[in-house]
Amino acid sequence: MPSLPPLPHVFPFRFVSRTLERSPEYSGKVSADWTSNGSLARVAFPATLLPEMLAQAALLIQGGDPEIGRTGFLAGISDFSIERTPMAGDRLVIEVRMAGQFASTVKFSGVIRRDDGQPVATGSITVKQGLTRPENPAT
Amino acid sequence: MDDAELKPRVKELIVKQLKLDIDPAAIADSAPLFGESADGLGLDSIDALELVLGLEKEFGIKVQDEEVGVKAFASVDALCDFIRSKAA
Repeated sequence: MPSLPPLPHVFPFRFVSRTLERSPEYSGKVSADWTSNGSLARVAFPATLLPEMLAQAALLIQGGDPEIGRTGFLAGISDFSIERTPMAGDRLVIEVRMAGQFASTVKFSGVIRRDDGQPVATGSITVKQGLTRPENPAT
Repeated sequence: MDDAELKPRVKELIVKQLKLDIDPAAIADSAPLFGESADGLGLDSIDALELVLGLEKEFGIKVQDEEVGVKAFASVDALCDFIRSKAA
């Protein structure tokens, strides 16, 4: 498979570590190592960031638009349920698959688990690719 | 499939797939589904993707071309025409 452009997210808003598996049908597994000395680990990890973690994993697997790379934004969250909050030191595995795409709007479904198999969260997210922020009419 | 059977099914699909809190029968056949029209549903691009997924699940029809999708999603009437053309 061809190499993909880098994910634009950086510390401290980078929640995924590396791709473990990736298929041409845009499904795969991504790891997220929750280090105990990371800034987000100093407080309880806000579970509301789990959909963003799923979105970052999804973009690692899907690769974004070949013309524009992995730019875009999390545009929707649906049927998302959180079983437990990740703790410092957890290693998470995110299984994600592309559920559908229409134009630049892409929906992914996924499951986040600890590496011992314990479920953390499951649900779907929708990503709007190619736009990083609304255009400012004043500029 | 004739209009009497297809239109209520399409309206039901729209309401169910988009989790709208309206009576499916209240959707006018020719009203625009997208945009800011006063008599339309005001759907957006995320709703369009949900409709694509709903059409595949309910009717086994894939919408892969954006241009085709935009025309098909113009109204309930247009969506019914599109489904019939794919079923023919």
